[in-house]
Amino acid sequence: MRIITFIFALSLPLAGNSLPSEKRKNGPLIQDALSPVQVSLQESSAVFYNNETSKAFLYGTVVTDDGLIMTKASEIEDVESYYVRVGTKKFRDPIVVARNDVWDVMMIKIEAEGLKPVDFSQAKDLTHGTWVVSNGATERRFRRPRAGIISANKREIPGGSPAVLGVGLKEKDGDLFIDNVTEDSGAALAGLKKGDKLLKVDGSEIMDRDDLIIHLKEKSPGDKIKLILKRGSEELSLEVELMARHKLYGKGETRNDQLSGGEAQQSARRTGFPMVLQHETMLNRNTVGGPVFTLDNQFVGMNIAAVNRVEAFAIPGQELSELLAELRKAP
Amino acid sequence: MACSLGFGSLVYADRPDFNDKEAPQTLGDFREIQNALQSHLERTRSATVCLEMGGGSGSAVIISKDGLVLTAAHVTSKVDEEIKVIMEDGREFTGRSLGLNSETDSAMLQIEDAGPFPFVEVDLKDTTKLGDWVFSLGHSGGFDKARGVNVRVGRLVREAETTVQSDCMLIGGDSGGPLFNMEGELIAIHSRVGASREESMHVPIREFQSHWDELKSGKFIGEGGFAQKSKPGTGFLGVATEESEEGGLKVTELWKDGVAEKIGLKVGDRIVEIAGEKATKQLMASKLAELGAGDKLTLKWISGKESKEETVKLGERP
Repeated sequence: MRIITFIFALSLPLAGNSLPSEKRKNGPLIQDALSPVQVSLQESSAVFYNNETSKAFLYGTVVTDDGLIMTKASEIEDVESYYVRVGTKKFRDPIVVARNDVWDVMMIKIEAEGLKPVDFSQAKDLTHGTWVVSNGATERRFRRPRAGIISANKREIPGGSPAVLGVGLKEKDGDLFIDNVTEDSGAALAGLKKGDKLLKVDGSEIMDRDDLIIHLKEKSPGDKIKLILKRGSEELSLEVELMARHKLYGKGETRNDQLSGGEAQQSARRTGFPMVLQHETMLNRNTVGGPVFTLDNQFVGMNIAAVNRVEAFAIPGQELSELLAELRKAP
Repeated sequence: MACSLGFGSLVYADRPDFNDKEAPQTLGDFREIQNALQSHLERTRSATVCLEMGGGSGSAVIISKDGLVLTAAHVTSKVDEEIKVIMEDGREFTGRSLGLNSETDSAMLQIEDAGPFPFVEVDLKDTTKLGDWVFSLGHSGGFDKARGVNVRVGRLVREAETTVQSDCMLIGGDSGGPLFNMEGELIAIHSRVGASREESMHVPIREFQSHWDELKSGKFIGEGGFAQKSKPGTGFLGVATEESEEGGLKVTELWKDGVAEKIGLKVGDRIVEIAGEKATKQLMASKLAELGAGDKLTLKWISGKESKEETVKLGERP
């Protein structure tokens, strides 16, 4: 379906009256009025700074008083070295302790004590139109609040497994074949070819497409899988490294992506979440990862994707709390 | 302003206090905005529809019980065209585009199925002012049943006669969707966006009112950039004829897969009326010179002993 897109009006034909920018929705007067909520953002947000550029590139959510922080994995995994600020304090040498690719969450530890973590017991379902407050831009000592409303139904965002082989499949006469191989994918590097017939994955037989898809669902980017396949009369055994779906396929920009500022503004990973709250706070890829609060300072969830011009996704508090328990149990 | 709206009496609630403040000063002010917005969401969401036509998708809003709909000209893009209307709950109806104003981006549509339909009140008295809090609805990016209608909030930040600007963010697919004041009345229809996410342009209701009867009667107004009329002379019927001694035009040749062939005209049939007038070679030539591809033409012809009539949409001249 083609979406009827807006016409860009670069110079407005509006000679009429105009509201001064400080009074607008994202203006400073509104920011000032949000100061009772800013306190929570100030205490329970972490800010990640790139060591090389000293620029803030991502927020995190403080989840324990001794320095566990959750943030968006795909925005931090490729940054070589970074430091963290919570409140006004700077923390060097953060350590990655766990990650979950289904939710695109990384858990990071800093050497700290007496932090003020978000209170998961407060999280509750919110209806459309409820104000929520997130981090906008940041100053070194001050987290700036930005408001938006819950804008759509809470739901799952489909998107396929986070880890992919990089092949297209074709079923024929009850057998499964490789139909095409994506350039630069793990499958291409391992030497898979169009026409290969798939027999086994990690020791189990492949009967149809679903067998392979279900197997990949459990995997993370970087994991290796062993495929047994038939090429001509030859049987081959190949090891393939899986890649992150958003890195292999994330580049295809739609017209709405362009309208949303493309790669500079949107999170690279913005689909495939088991459950999200949608709000319309104006975020970009560098302002996700932090906590979301209600006007009553109740913790709502953690921003996980700047999706487009009008949509931001947050992992709901309940789901984030369950994920935290799971990640802390992991070896 | 005089205008022939056929829907019930309008109730004007008191103007909310927060609209007269420079900006919210306390969290209480935010809560009042939230309460006002939420009190109107059920009704406004149920009347906000997705339009699908010719592989494209936009938004619109129902303003009467019997299914009169307001939208943008660049969404319907043509008059008298069949358009699918989808409600937030997924129910589908058939609509037909009425008139449009190609210069200001206003358009109307009528749902052809029987009502009653959920509908919204319209700010006919033009009470909404610069700085007022507003909310925007739409099927952003196309219909998505799991997501539902997308809600956004903001303020009216600029005003001109035929365009108003808000800082409610919009995206493709929202085109033609509604903008409401905090009394839940429709004040404008989404039209276009600026380069910044905080610049959204809408067509105010007063612009619809000033062309109400023309829009309702299916007129294509102006020669602006929001919709283009078909070019005269580009229409093609795909038939060759000669004057018949019995009167009318005898079909001598048909183009393969042409419009005439598709409606069932056969070589030897006799066209007796074109657009309600007696068929002559001259009338056929002048009609085709005046109409363009996509325009409609009604033909009446005799095939054997049967008399047939069809309205066809002209094809593109090869």
